[in-house]
Amino acid sequence: MDENKNINTPETEEQKYSLNDDRRVKVLSPGALVMKRFWRNRLAVVGMSVLIFMFLFSFAGGIISPYGQNQFFYKDVEISREFAAVTENDEFRYRASDSTDKFGSAVQAQAMLAIQTKKGDFTYRDTAYTVSEEGENFYSIYSGGELVGIAYKDIVSSSVEGQKLSFDFIYSALKAYTSDTSKGDSSFSSEGAEYIISDLGYISDTSGNEVAYISRYVVQAIMGDVFLSRDFKEKLIETIMAGGTEFSYTDESLIITEDEEPVPEEEDEANILATDDVSEAEAPVSATAEYTIRPNQNHKGWSIRQQQSSRQYDTYSSPNKAHWLGTDRYGMDMLTRLMYGGRVSLLIGFIVVIIETLLGVIMGGISGYFGGWVDNLIMRLVDIFYCIPSMPIIIILGAAMDAQRVDPSVRMVYLMLILGILGWAGIARLVRGQILSLREQEFMTATEASGLSVKSRIFKHLIPNVIPQLIVNCTMSLGGVIITEATLSFLGLGVKFPFASWGNIINDVNNTHVLTTYWFIWIPAGTLLLLTVLAFNLVGDGLRDAFDPRMNR
Amino acid sequence: MDINSSPDYILQVKDLKMHFPIKSGIVSHTVGYVKAVDGVTFNLQRGMTMGLVGESGCGKTTTGRAILRLYDSITSGSVLFNGQDVYALSKKDLRAMRPKMQIIFQDPFSSLSPRMPVGEIIGEAVREHNIVSKEEYNDYIDTIMDNCGLQPFHKDRYPHEFSGGQRQRICIARALALNPEFIVCDEPVSALDVSIQAQIINLLNDLQEKYKLTYLFISHDLSVVEHISDAVGVMYLGNLVEYGPKEKIFSNPLHPYTKALFSAIPVPDPTVKMNRIVLEGSIPSPANPPKGCKFHTRCANCMECCKEIEPVQKEIEPGHFVTCHLYDEQ
Repeated sequence: MDENKNINTPETEEQKYSLNDDRRVKVLSPGALVMKRFWRNRLAVVGMSVLIFMFLFSFAGGIISPYGQNQFFYKDVEISREFAAVTENDEFRYRASDSTDKFGSAVQAQAMLAIQTKKGDFTYRDTAYTVSEEGENFYSIYSGGELVGIAYKDIVSSSVEGQKLSFDFIYSALKAYTSDTSKGDSSFSSEGAEYIISDLGYISDTSGNEVAYISRYVVQAIMGDVFLSRDFKEKLIETIMAGGTEFSYTDESLIITEDEEPVPEEEDEANILATDDVSEAEAPVSATAEYTIRPNQNHKGWSIRQQQSSRQYDTYSSPNKAHWLGTDRYGMDMLTRLMYGGRVSLLIGFIVVIIETLLGVIMGGISGYFGGWVDNLIMRLVDIFYCIPSMPIIIILGAAMDAQRVDPSVRMVYLMLILGILGWAGIARLVRGQILSLREQEFMTATEASGLSVKSRIFKHLIPNVIPQLIVNCTMSLGGVIITEATLSFLGLGVKFPFASWGNIINDVNNTHVLTTYWFIWIPAGTLLLLTVLAFNLVGDGLRDAFDPRMNR
Repeated sequence: MDINSSPDYILQVKDLKMHFPIKSGIVSHTVGYVKAVDGVTFNLQRGMTMGLVGESGCGKTTTGRAILRLYDSITSGSVLFNGQDVYALSKKDLRAMRPKMQIIFQDPFSSLSPRMPVGEIIGEAVREHNIVSKEEYNDYIDTIMDNCGLQPFHKDRYPHEFSGGQRQRICIARALALNPEFIVCDEPVSALDVSIQAQIINLLNDLQEKYKLTYLFISHDLSVVEHISDAVGVMYLGNLVEYGPKEKIFSNPLHPYTKALFSAIPVPDPTVKMNRIVLEGSIPSPANPPKGCKFHTRCANCMECCKEIEPVQKEIEPGHFVTCHLYDEQ
């Protein structure tokens, strides 16, 4: 009634005290009443807000997040390591001629003495030896006119790995190399072949093939598995001779094509229980490295450090600006994984519950409405489903799917179907019970008396009256389904890589090291899981109370 | 006794028996029967109201529901509605006939679906049976509601927002909306307080005049039955012991049970001396009724033959039937 009107024409006495319905406070429909009661329940509202947050987080978050669900992150790591050592040889080395045994170590020592005292000859055990200087730091030792050995400081190494150079070759080469004081090529012949020595000490045959080289420097790799190529050695020596301390070198054998990006291998069954799986997937070592040359303390050599920048998966990185919750063990952004994981977890929860409910309502509805042998049959089926140990079955099916290498997305569909099919029995029983009790209500007799069709009796009278219980039950079981899914994923039988789920995120924590060191891997996922299930239960409780008209809160 | 299909009679009930099996044991075999209705015969003329009285558990409600075929089957007997055997109809024909015979329940709280607005409760079956065309539907429901004392804005409300009397009006409106010829009123006022009872009774009377309705009015309140009925039937333990026009039954009750029952009607005059006939004992179990006349265990005029032979229904005066050995022609 309009207010102005009231002032002008006061209500009549009758109107004032009338108990007419239109003057009563607006009364709400059952649905609105339930809503009103629900909003009065503080815990339920908290649960509802948590759920809304979870949905926004999972479904909107994935869109907002700049990263992809299975986007790997790399970091460039500077690896500095002792790579090689260079020593300048300033001690005489000896080589006996192939044909003699008169150049033992004692003779070598005597020869050394003779060289240092610059004596031309010496006697050892009644044998006379003559030492003659053939070139710079190169001496030959004769005994009775026969060449028995040589002493030298420049080392002749074969360019072909593993090939031993003959004495004659070394002798001839050194002779030519040391006696030639002018910078430039010199040549010598050995065993009937002509060789040319370049000014840097490379020895090549007449056709230009390099066969050996002469160098005062010895380059040794520090790590056993590294083979130092000649190119590298050459470059290194060049730098040292030029007095440089740094150089860079590209190892062409290490360059790989870019598209061969390795993806972490899908875990196979063995890894599910194996906890020693800490092998970190490494990105390819880049081919170009920086080397620094540092003289040793005794100034008799140099040590070479390799500074290599290598791209590695950014695994277990702590929370930082780019990755608010860090990265997981594959180097994927944790926060993004959580968002997509929530999507999968919630989606699986909902779809499973929908499957369960559909099956349960249909089966329970038929059972309760028609009764008789149909009821008996369906209820025995329900009993059988109650007897099925669902966990072992799901685990076996999961293992079977592993063996069949089922595609992860197809696998997710199977998972939902299995969970749904195993879960309908409870709902069928609930619906049947409700319908049995409703069927005895007089309003159902009234529908019979009005001659309503079976369809409208079931769908307009029975089902709406079952729905409150159904909603409560579904909300409650949503939490349970999410937990089951998380359990399965944790065991490696549920959702698989590349899909994230809160369960398989926690699965990353499969050893104490990760558990204690990388809290950001499991605490956020665990918290989200806990909050979601708790929220579903709170909302379920709230709905149950709200649907119960006797609750006056 | 005449039970020919006469157009005068809207309802003819012949020897209606409704026995419910008592199941027991692991294999749930039948160990006996509750003989809720054990031979009821009466005819009801069009436009009349028949009151059905009797104490609790005597089978009044079962009779009412059996007439409407709200049970899957009856044990024996026949129910003829407009000359058609209700139990011989196919499901489809039965559905088509449903609107013609309606029922109003005792409990207005459980007889309305709690999750349906009132307009829908009343109109649902109207639409299913195409009682009126779509264009007229809204006006039709408004008219029916208005006739039953309901406001149009009640349509969108839910049953829990109404009082008992209003709910009963909704039930009446639901029955009436199908344009029935015959309504079973199953104790429609016993759940209501006295002032509302009067409103509902008057409403039923008004509607009967307006729509030419026939009622089977089940009640244990004799004063209500006396007010509303044209004919009265008295039931005892599944049997219709006496049946006849209201005036005759009330002025000249023949059956000893009827006499005892009517002697209990309070007279609003303290000077009148009440001659109450007090019945000994309590009503026997319908699962194991006494042999012979079922009333003989409590009857003041019990004779030897009553204990052995079941009496048959006899027409003592035109339209006035009684089932008692006292009126056997020797």
